[in-house]
Amino acid sequence: MTQTTPKAQPAVTSDVPGLRLREVRKSFGSVAALQPTSFDVPAGTLCSLLGPSGCGKTTTLRIVAGFELPDAGQVLIRGEDRTYDPPQRRKLGMVFQNYSLFPHMTVAQNVAFGLRMARVNRAETEARTRRMLDIVHLPQHADRYPHQLSGGQQQRVALARSLVTEPSMLLLDEPLGALDKNLREQMQFEIRQLQREIGITTLLVTHDQEEALTMSDMIVVMDRGRILQAGSPAEVYEHPRNRFVSEFLGTSNIIDCTVMGAERGGLRLRLPGDEGSSGFFVADAPARPVGSTALVAIRPEHLRIVPAMEAGPSEPRATVSGHVFRGATHVFQLKRPGLDRPLMAYRQITGPVGETALAIGAEIGLSWLPGTARLLEDEPMREDAA
Amino acid sequence: MTAAAATSGRRSRRALGAGLWPVLPAVIFLLLFFLLPLAENGLQSLYVPDAAGKPVFSLDYYMRLFTDSYYLGVLGRTIWVSLLATIICILIGYPVAFFMVRHAGRWNGVMIFLLVAPLLTSIIMRTFGWNVILARNGVLNSTLLSLGLIERPLRLLQDPSAVIIGLVHVLVPFMVISIAAVLKGIDTRLEEAAELLGASRWRTFREITLPLSLDGIATGAIVVFMLANGSFLTMLLLGGGSVVTLPLLIYQQFLLVQNLGFAAAMGNVLLVLAVISLFLQLRLIRRDGGAS
Repeated sequence: MTQTTPKAQPAVTSDVPGLRLREVRKSFGSVAALQPTSFDVPAGTLCSLLGPSGCGKTTTLRIVAGFELPDAGQVLIRGEDRTYDPPQRRKLGMVFQNYSLFPHMTVAQNVAFGLRMARVNRAETEARTRRMLDIVHLPQHADRYPHQLSGGQQQRVALARSLVTEPSMLLLDEPLGALDKNLREQMQFEIRQLQREIGITTLLVTHDQEEALTMSDMIVVMDRGRILQAGSPAEVYEHPRNRFVSEFLGTSNIIDCTVMGAERGGLRLRLPGDEGSSGFFVADAPARPVGSTALVAIRPEHLRIVPAMEAGPSEPRATVSGHVFRGATHVFQLKRPGLDRPLMAYRQITGPVGETALAIGAEIGLSWLPGTARLLEDEPMREDAA
Repeated sequence: MTAAAATSGRRSRRALGAGLWPVLPAVIFLLLFFLLPLAENGLQSLYVPDAAGKPVFSLDYYMRLFTDSYYLGVLGRTIWVSLLATIICILIGYPVAFFMVRHAGRWNGVMIFLLVAPLLTSIIMRTFGWNVILARNGVLNSTLLSLGLIERPLRLLQDPSAVIIGLVHVLVPFMVISIAAVLKGIDTRLEEAAELLGASRWRTFREITLPLSLDGIATGAIVVFMLANGSFLTMLLLGGGSVVTLPLLIYQQFLLVQNLGFAAAMGNVLLVLAVISLFLQLRLIRRDGGAS
């Protein structure tokens, strides 16, 4: 980092977003790949586009990269309109799903490619290439060919290649998809750390909710070419706006409840098959007509279960219908009359294993902390065939 | 353990033996009609009749081939004509292959058919077709004349240019198919990666696409070169003696002069050229980065 002084990057000013999409729209033939979409990625942060395949996340990334032109809308990178610039002029770094390393070039040649294209002189190219390989812990592999490297090493080379030109933004297209689980977790941390150190605005495309949750400052959940929700990982996880978000990020118990009445700016709801009880309270919910149905999401880790005889008299009851031991947690399946799908509940294992397992068929009492049950925006709908 | 290994070894040997039986007819056929004549050919080229007409072991035929300026010229011309045809095939074939793979889309199948269709007609038919087009009062000349582009008919037949045109026409499909097969395997994301790193379209082609498709060019070049080396009818019918290459000379020595030994020696030289080409193919193609 000493002998070469890269061009000073424009100071990261908080008011100019690193990336801004304004009403960007794209169709392929008659298929609308992307509905008009707008979002901002604050400079220096990592934003994930999360969704199932075909949700428009890859199209969005390709529009930002310049591989596709949008039908309408604007792409601003660091405040500059880049909508119709060719990829060559956008000064972006990108790591592709399969790394896309040039197979006929050595590691060093791969990393130096962008510098060579920018006509950086040889001495500086060598110095910056070497420095970048040091950063990704591969200095001794400079003369190898990509196919002689492991998946994780190829990943690092791809990262080095994309960052050595000091791009204004980094694009990551499912960068960890091809790695096995342990390596993936390790690389998640490494990429995140590097991204923070450099302070580069980053757009990550992934279908892996765990990856999005662990790596991002901001998650944009997409489905069928639309943004469903955007926010910090905690926000999106804790306050899913609708059924799709709630189910795509983590596991959720989604229950059709009945509105009993409005109180204190929230709603009092009743579980199905729980007539006569006083129900439970959900805060911050707009009033809905009494007797209408409301979708409520409760995370399995928020459900507390105790044997029925230890439970309070007002707690709803359920029967244990299944149990799986998952190392750090017990996973219980619970059945309750009036629910068409069993509920899932996790119980952290704190003591010796085997101690707390509830027998299948046991009756239990259900409870949850106020605030962990979320009202979803969706109108209750019948289970989709899809 | 060892017993088990032994039985499994015996079983696999027996399986291998059993598997060989069906190919036996082919092996016998090759032995009788390919390897034996080849050996006979080799021997014949090494025995030159002495003054009394009695065959004596001698490298005389080969000496003559490699020292006599006429024969050296023929050898050189054979290689030169093949090389020229190969280069033209690359120049014509690469863009066609590129278009087929990248832009033809659902027309790809049609293009392959159009490419292969000429190969399904007999070479005599194709060559006579060129005769009709290139003849003194043929289609090309009369068109050029009527357009006023030329004053006198061009002499196109019985000329090296006719040979090259004929060779390229016959051989270009091999080039296109070899190159297209390799181009199809190149991940376009590599090109996108290069463009995002600042490479222009042309630079991307030169730095990424072209080097990665060299295997296809080399395969096509070797196939075309070998086929051109051995081509006979095109030389005979379109060249009309203006381009004397080894196959023509062999034909001459064999049928007209009836010097079988000399013809055999020339055949062997042609064979060595083919073997060298194949060797180059094995050595040059699929070097480093080919794996991914």
